[in-house]
Amino acid sequence: MKEFDTVIGLEVHVQLNTEAKIFCSCPTEFEAPPNTNICPVCCGYPGTLPVFNEGALRLGVRAGLALNCRINKSIYFERKNYFYPDLPKNYQISQYASPLGYQGFLQLSPERKVGIDRVHLEEDAGKLIHKQGYSLADFNRAGIPLLEIVSAPDIRSPQEAFDYLACLKLILQYIGVSTCDMEKGYLRCDANISLKEKESKTFGTKVELKNMNSFKGVRAALEYEQTRQAGRIRAGEKIIQETRLWDVQRLKTFSMRSKEEAHDYRYFPDPDLPDFAVSDQLIAQEKESLGELPSQRRKRFIEQYRLSGKESSLLIENKPLADFFEQVLKFYHDSQKVHKLLFGPFLEQVNLLEGGFDSVKISAKDLAKVVQYFQEGKINNIAVRKILSLAVPAEKSVDRIIKEEKLTQISDQVGLEDIVDNVLSENSKAATEYKQGKTKAVQFLVGQAMKKTRGRASPQAVRDILERRLKE
Amino acid sequence: MNLNLIEKSGYEIARDIKDKKINPEEVYSFFKERIDKYNPRLNAFIEAYPDFSLSSSQNSSLFGLPIAIKDNICIQGKEITCASKILSSCRAVYDATVIRKLKEAGLSLIGTTNMDEFAFGSSTENSCYGPSKNPWDTDRVPGGSSGGSAAAVAARLVPFALGSDTAGSIRQPASLCGVVGFKPTYGRVSRFGLVAFGSSLDQIGPITGNIKDCASLLDIICGPDKFDSTTAQAGEQNFTEALGQDISSLKIGLPKEYFGEGLDPQIKERIEAAINFFKKEKVEFVQVSLPHTQYALPAYYVIACSEASSNLQRFDGIRYGQRAQGNKLGPVYEKSRRLGFGRETKRRILLGTYSLSSGYYDLYYTRALKVRRLIKNDFDRVFKEVDAILTPSSPTPAFKIGEKIKDPLKMYLSDVYTISSNLAGIPAASIPCGFTKDNLPVGMQLMAKDFDEEIIIKIADFFQSHTDFHQKIPQLK
Amino acid sequence: MIEKEIIKRIGELARIEISPEESSNLQLFKIIEYVDKLKEVDIEGVEPMRGPQQQSLKTPPRQDKAIQDSTRKDILNNAPSLSDGFFKIPKVIE
Repeated sequence: MKEFDTVIGLEVHVQLNTEAKIFCSCPTEFEAPPNTNICPVCCGYPGTLPVFNEGALRLGVRAGLALNCRINKSIYFERKNYFYPDLPKNYQISQYASPLGYQGFLQLSPERKVGIDRVHLEEDAGKLIHKQGYSLADFNRAGIPLLEIVSAPDIRSPQEAFDYLACLKLILQYIGVSTCDMEKGYLRCDANISLKEKESKTFGTKVELKNMNSFKGVRAALEYEQTRQAGRIRAGEKIIQETRLWDVQRLKTFSMRSKEEAHDYRYFPDPDLPDFAVSDQLIAQEKESLGELPSQRRKRFIEQYRLSGKESSLLIENKPLADFFEQVLKFYHDSQKVHKLLFGPFLEQVNLLEGGFDSVKISAKDLAKVVQYFQEGKINNIAVRKILSLAVPAEKSVDRIIKEEKLTQISDQVGLEDIVDNVLSENSKAATEYKQGKTKAVQFLVGQAMKKTRGRASPQAVRDILERRLKE
Repeated sequence: MNLNLIEKSGYEIARDIKDKKINPEEVYSFFKERIDKYNPRLNAFIEAYPDFSLSSSQNSSLFGLPIAIKDNICIQGKEITCASKILSSCRAVYDATVIRKLKEAGLSLIGTTNMDEFAFGSSTENSCYGPSKNPWDTDRVPGGSSGGSAAAVAARLVPFALGSDTAGSIRQPASLCGVVGFKPTYGRVSRFGLVAFGSSLDQIGPITGNIKDCASLLDIICGPDKFDSTTAQAGEQNFTEALGQDISSLKIGLPKEYFGEGLDPQIKERIEAAINFFKKEKVEFVQVSLPHTQYALPAYYVIACSEASSNLQRFDGIRYGQRAQGNKLGPVYEKSRRLGFGRETKRRILLGTYSLSSGYYDLYYTRALKVRRLIKNDFDRVFKEVDAILTPSSPTPAFKIGEKIKDPLKMYLSDVYTISSNLAGIPAASIPCGFTKDNLPVGMQLMAKDFDEEIIIKIADFFQSHTDFHQKIPQLK
Repeated sequence: MIEKEIIKRIGELARIEISPEESSNLQLFKIIEYVDKLKEVDIEGVEPMRGPQQQSLKTPPRQDKAIQDSTRKDILNNAPSLSDGFFKIPKVIE
């Protein structure tokens, strides 16, 4: 049977985190009511001219640098001409011959590197809603800056495509270029896939995949397409060069079959925009603002905080959580203990919140206190959970909760001895059973003692006293 | 009202306003009455506003004067038609930068002038409102595409007007109507609010009765604009300072390519007379050569139409303008654009689409951009040697309505002398310099290097201080 | 490609319906023949001139600051057809 190598290239569009649109001053908040963040420029009014937003250039350069691209020192924009009602001018201002960045790469792991052919700036189109018999257009999104990131055809499997996207997203989030929320359309991904017979030097026919709404969707569509293409080739059929859409319900790709008016975008330099110099100073400033990239942080977490590779990865993949982790460490030094609390009782509480980590109210300083009190024996496990259940969702100080709820652990030995005495005299049956060899009965007795202290005693201390007394 | 404002220049009327001899509203009424009386014969205006309004009390040198605006420049709240059916009932939602500046300088807008549809033409015959007439002979065209503005100023229906110039659309009609038309350096005047034709060629400029008014208007409308990135290299300028200066040490070039075949002998004669006048004033003339001139017209048509084909894609009946009936998008696009655009517009859109389409792109578009560079290089070389270039503005005087409309190439040749300066981006103006035997005006063209409008103003002002061609007014029957 | 087919093709790209009669009135190929004159020019080694600007701008002219525009109502008033604040348009998908 024929064996194949899979050849995948990804085209990713991300919405840049600017305040204003790329060629006019309208806000980029596109979830506003329809056609509210619009002006004559982004509505393609006659006589209007685009004026380039410096913020978009900066974010584009920063992303290019993070993706190890070479940055063009002078760029210009071109017009991509095609009629579509979400495109107010019926051309899109984009870059063609002089992309902002080129020849970059993304390091997926120490062993795997995927080339980045180019990154370029362009304007987004508006949004269409299709109704029975007509369509509706909203131009809030028209003119929002996009960065198109085109990978080399270096990706070898659907899983690697998934890894590439995850890695790319994390980097772009880290450097503050985009939120990359795919559900909201801040990140969109199209894929090209072809199969090449092993040992063969010629590439197979390429199929373009669109309409994937999640990273998992991209992986599933590529897996489906990989199997479909292999099946066809083995059956002696030809692969047709076409665009196929992913159907998320039926988990299949299907041909667009539109009458495919052969596209001819007639790219040419936009005469409304002069050339822009990308100065060494701007590049240096953006390099400076890159900060720590996820891979560097992962390495540092392992070395500095003695976390395992896996622990470190899980933490850096959630940037806000990783940032919080480091803030807590400013108030309490023991990284292992903080990590344990964070990934244990803390996340349990966070997961109960509707807004997730974004709606966490507890401060890093207070969380540090919780870890510290626990380590000092001032509070026990049960108290930790109780405190977090109150302090994570609402702004309430940890010290106050402890005081109000009387959560301090009873560490006074004499007091505990009295309580144990009481428990033993009230539960003589269990005590007898224990003495007869039913050692499990001690669990019940510990429970009773804890009940009496309303959970404030250290269960271990209670157990120690009980066992000593029962052996007397 | 028994005022004789038509024999006065704009700056003279402005002085009368300043001296309280007359007020702005009276001036407006005077010209509005002339429009009402003569426009039916000339069809120079698309719309004349019935009510006087002034939005600034700032005391600029032209305070209180009315001005007419070519109908491809946006005036907030007013219809913007570009003389095209496709824009019917579309109102501009913002002021073009030049309009804002005029309002701030205390000028009052009196109406919009006729033009070739989207500025595609040299005769104002390609207007959905019908052709404008030349006030010197109403059987003849006023030139184009800013023919309405030139005719209106020539007939003194208004002291001055704005036009736009992509290949000569200010200068050629100014020449055919006997008025001053000025195309500033590309980037000198903001294009924000000018409905684009060829974005790398378009400039807004004044059409006036004399160069002094022109310099004053340039002072008002020029300067860098944050809404037009292509104005970034323009500085603020005081053009009126160039008035009233000596020109005896200047050296002017006469490019031999502009005096050859196709030039009407009567025009040649008037231009030579002007040259002789300057020679007497100790101006030095040298023959120069701009060898790529013959390629300017074809390069221009490729570049301008390519840009226009893209610029005019936005007229699709979706967000504004005329939408044809239909329930499917594709056919609605195609029908709206078939019904909305006139023939010349379609011709240019198709030519531009063709030169940008795959397979023809390098053959036409890229090649034209290279030829454009060679044309620019010709000028750069010549301007190392001379201060200005003098040529005819148009190869012929005003021609008959209908004479060239069926033959596009013949029509295109009307711009043969004005087209190169748009490709190069340099400033150029047409100045009245005489009349033919049939009493049709003749204009001479002055060109200078980038951002050196002053030299043109200086020469033109000297000429007008010693001649009276610009003071002649057509007799309207 | 013969001329009629070329005109049909570019008419499709430019989204303008062109009748066969109009197609000949346009005299497009007469003009194309004329601009073919450009082929005579020796353009070897010449840089294309994209526009009259000769130098690159140092920084993009606009700061990243959002401003709410006030013309929304006028923009919607110009629309040939509206529905609940959306531009209503003929059916896009066939």
